[in-house]
Amino acid sequence: MLIYSLLSGVLFGLYFSLIGLGLNLVFGVMRIVNLAHGDFLMLGAYCAFWMYTLFGVDPVYAIPVAFVLFALIGLPLYYALVPRLLAARDPEMLSIILFFGLSQVIEALSTIAFGTSEQSIPGSELGRSLRAFVGWLAGHDIESGPIEVFGQSFPSAWVMSAIASLVAVAFVYFYLYRTRTGYLTRAVMSRRDEALATGIDVHRISAIAFGIGIALASIGGVFAPFMLGSITPAMGVDATVTSFAVIVVGSLGSPLGTVLGGLVYGVSYMLVQTYLSSWANLLPYLLLIGILLVRPSGLLGKRVRLA
Amino acid sequence: MNHALVALGALASAALCPVPVACAADAPSEIRIGHLYASAGRFASISMPVHYALKLWIDQKNADGGVFVKGFGKKIPIKLVDYDDQSNTSTAATLYNQLITQDKVDILIADSGSVLTSVAVPIARDHKVMLVDPTGTGAAFFSPDNPWIALMADPVSTVWPKPVADWVSQEGPRLGIKKLAILYSTNEFTGTQANAARKFIKESGAPIEIVFDQGVPTETSNYTVLINNIRAANPDMVLHFGYAPNDIAFLRNLADSGVKFKGLFCIYPGLETDLIEKNVGEKGLQYVMTYVTSNDLAYKVDFGMDLPRFRDAWSKKYPDGKVEFGFNSIAGYTTGLVLEKALGDMASLDQGELRRAIFAQSGKLKTLDGTFGLDETGGQIGELTPLGQFTPDEHGHLKLNAIYPQDTATGKPVYPRP
Repeated sequence: MLIYSLLSGVLFGLYFSLIGLGLNLVFGVMRIVNLAHGDFLMLGAYCAFWMYTLFGVDPVYAIPVAFVLFALIGLPLYYALVPRLLAARDPEMLSIILFFGLSQVIEALSTIAFGTSEQSIPGSELGRSLRAFVGWLAGHDIESGPIEVFGQSFPSAWVMSAIASLVAVAFVYFYLYRTRTGYLTRAVMSRRDEALATGIDVHRISAIAFGIGIALASIGGVFAPFMLGSITPAMGVDATVTSFAVIVVGSLGSPLGTVLGGLVYGVSYMLVQTYLSSWANLLPYLLLIGILLVRPSGLLGKRVRLA
Repeated sequence: MNHALVALGALASAALCPVPVACAADAPSEIRIGHLYASAGRFASISMPVHYALKLWIDQKNADGGVFVKGFGKKIPIKLVDYDDQSNTSTAATLYNQLITQDKVDILIADSGSVLTSVAVPIARDHKVMLVDPTGTGAAFFSPDNPWIALMADPVSTVWPKPVADWVSQEGPRLGIKKLAILYSTNEFTGTQANAARKFIKESGAPIEIVFDQGVPTETSNYTVLINNIRAANPDMVLHFGYAPNDIAFLRNLADSGVKFKGLFCIYPGLETDLIEKNVGEKGLQYVMTYVTSNDLAYKVDFGMDLPRFRDAWSKKYPDGKVEFGFNSIAGYTTGLVLEKALGDMASLDQGELRRAIFAQSGKLKTLDGTFGLDETGGQIGELTPLGQFTPDEHGHLKLNAIYPQDTATGKPVYPRP
């Protein structure tokens, strides 16, 4: 039971790293808290759901579609909301209010559009085309079902979401450290005013980061029907709270910190669910309080601010 | 001359309308029914069907001129005063107070489910307002010192699990059930059911050991580790007591993890079959045991629409399918029918009179939900929930058979599951 809980925690934690990654990128670049982050995750989940329901599309293909779609949505949304916010005296506090409002609007409109009932996609549909391709290479059919990791059996969605999370982290690192835009993004993350003074188009850089942030949330949403039981328009709030806890634990502004925060959250959650199950949902809040009391800058706090 | 006519009129009125009975001239222009619903959150899937069914009933009655109230001798239209509590108990408490003190509703109907009803019980009691409770079955709501509540459409939580507990105790040992696992969501509805089932089984003296017994928060959305932990305990039968989203997550995780329990019971597959089947699939429900409710029992009715007619009316009114038809829809409509009967027997809209009239229907009213029966505390005792099991028919489609008690059985239990 202990080994299974630990391994589950790692896989589950990597999924929450994926969810927190975008929120952290947005905070790192703009110093604003996107409380509608979970609602973009919810919209990503419905994107995968409708692609599957209407056209029978394997949710794996919804990943690039959702990424591009939500990145494109993020650009105009940034210019509509954020520049005015950043001009205010206390943008961090105002961002909480503004994005809370946006979250409510998205949830209300989604309820009207999608209804209130739970929706989901059959577990066997995730990666159906990949299995068919591997089966074609191997010369025999590959059945859907759990996957063995270190001798323990896990739903394939857990393993696939963990892989997607690692790819997303690698993408963010590649973007930040191997591209010119990423180089400029790090400059903005480090000193926004100095970046502006050196002629960097701060708003363009921030808009790209904002688009990538909500696009990463939407990828988390594609896996949500498999990781979170089912999807509803109201699921965004819980996702936002958990991802906020994850990035505070890891440290605000650091992608690597998000991974660490996700792993701490995932492993702790699974251990609590195994040995003290009634208390499991208190965990995000306990972790938040604990880390803010002991190490307010997060586990990897110091390195972030100078990134 | 005019004074004489007025005096004569007053005398005639007094003769025709003795105090305290009202008459048509005193009749209000509308009956105000206050109701909460949850359009979002954990309880939306059990709340919206009740809300939609109530609206269906109200629209039907208003199209017919309203509901007949005996004391006023005429039909009076219904005005629904409804608010969205978003599955939040704090919001619900504020809104229940508002319905009573600000909107001054004539009839107060609770939101669906025990969690959102739990906050209404003390508020209604303090204000001496009759709480019409569609589906809140928490055992603590019903006590001899609280006369201000009546449960409309399903039995109290301590009664629900009796058939499944009796089946496990009486038939289980013969079938090889020696070890039992209980997993439940820690709330008034499912927590009470788990406690009751545990008590019934222990008191039966059956040679059954409970090898896993854990509660999880109602908001739990991933059960994979819990399923593995249950498997490690190697039970012969698993009882899962959770709300609809819990059952969906549990059954989906079970299918995805490849674990098969020899016997499995869940609450909601029998209550909200359309919703659960849509999310879990026919295969995920095969051989799952559940409650058989009026959603699957075509009772003979003597008042209101029967099940096929109600389902038809529902499909016509709500063709988009955004809110699934299920037991909670029936509960909402049944609530309307009980109120209609009670109003037809009421001398006034006084809360004490409302209580008397509702209790007066006990044992006399047969709706699509079965026989309406109340005990002295307002708990529902008329509508039964036998144990059933989903089995595939010859075409592979799911069929829900009642398997226990014997006198209601329409099929035999399949154990262990193939």
